[in-house]
Amino acid sequence: MSTTLTLAQDGFPTAFQSVTLAHYLFISAVMFAIGLIGFLTRRNLIIMFLCTELMFQAAGIALVAFSRFHMDMTGQSFVIFIVTVAAAEAALALALVVLLFRKRESLDAEEWSELKG
Amino acid sequence: MDQIINPLALYAACGLGAIGVAFALPRKEGKNPQIIGAMLASIAGAIVLIAMGLKAGGFFGIGNSPSIYFYVFGGVALGASLRVITHPRPVYAALYFVLSILATAGLFLILSAEFMAFALVIVYAGAILITYLFVIMLATQAPTEELENALADYDTQAREPIVATAAGFVLLAVLTTLLFRGVNDMPSRKSPGGQSLLAEMPRKIESALTFSGQLPAGSKVVVNENAEAVVDFAARTVQIRDAAGVVSSAKLPPDLAVSNVEMVGFNLLRDHPGSIEIAGVILLMAMLGAVVLSRKQVQLDEDAKERHSRSLAAEVAQGVETNP
Repeated sequence: MSTTLTLAQDGFPTAFQSVTLAHYLFISAVMFAIGLIGFLTRRNLIIMFLCTELMFQAAGIALVAFSRFHMDMTGQSFVIFIVTVAAAEAALALALVVLLFRKRESLDAEEWSELKG
Repeated sequence: MDQIINPLALYAACGLGAIGVAFALPRKEGKNPQIIGAMLASIAGAIVLIAMGLKAGGFFGIGNSPSIYFYVFGGVALGASLRVITHPRPVYAALYFVLSILATAGLFLILSAEFMAFALVIVYAGAILITYLFVIMLATQAPTEELENALADYDTQAREPIVATAAGFVLLAVLTTLLFRGVNDMPSRKSPGGQSLLAEMPRKIESALTFSGQLPAGSKVVVNENAEAVVDFAARTVQIRDAAGVVSSAKLPPDLAVSNVEMVGFNLLRDHPGSIEIAGVILLMAMLGAVVLSRKQVQLDEDAKERHSRSLAAEVAQGVETNP
């Protein structure tokens, strides 16, 4: 039973064995949910973008775990692109936040609620 | 199919976690139940993790003990993430995010993704979070004399905490139910992948053989027409040619293996060369966009523009006269 669950970890110290794919996916899912809740509840624009970074990171954990499970490096390469997109998003989003802060002198997302179409 | 955790127990843990997170979110009025909420949420997380640990072979059991490092790093990562969304001060939230990234890098190390672990620390914790901290400090009102530690209203009061938490944990319950059910059907591969890449690195083999003293002076590793070394992976031998042109086979050093960085590099540059270019273009566009967005716009009417251009022209003319 537990052999089918175990990640392929040949040549690893015994302390590293017996952590299954589901363990990492659980960590990833919980981190994604926390990021989602944070994005929905926090009203500070910067914290909201920090929460999207949290969700990016959760996706990264899932990708690296799958990459290890299937012994395919494409998962890890994709995390590099996730980090790239996160960096681009951080640069653009923070520039926008600075712009919005100059207009209203506040980081409150509710200040811009008239934008809701 | 075998569930790792009884679905009812899983849903109970999700509900407990939801109540805990809802309590832990920042709120202003009344007594602050943040600590109780954080404790409830961590109890819920611990229940699921302990159940998974028992299923995977028992804690610290003889022979089949699960990784204690995984639980330490995973616990720190989740606790720090919870603190990111519950801390009312943005600077502290960003610092807790750094802690969460460091713990994630630890998880990546356990998964033997060394390159990604260090890239995460350098790029995320080093570069992106510094930008965040700068903007947080730039875009915060200066504290007044009497209210030095005052927090902005929008930082201390969560928006729709109960509905948002319920939505998040319903998503989590569905996700975990599915992933705890289907995992048994996945095959696990025992062979370490990517070792065939070793043939494509004759220089690495050569330096490893030289280092272990198995390559006589003047000998070289034989390469075929694809510039690959001729490696017998079953016997772990490689063909070498000495100065006289006689081909023989040498045994590979036992610790010679393709490292994670090399595997990622081959995958990235051989299988996805176009994606790297696109990533570079994305970064360039983001940089241009950030510069254009954040510059101060100065409004000039037609008269002012004319005056500016005239004074500029006069300066240029003067410069030409004094420096012929």
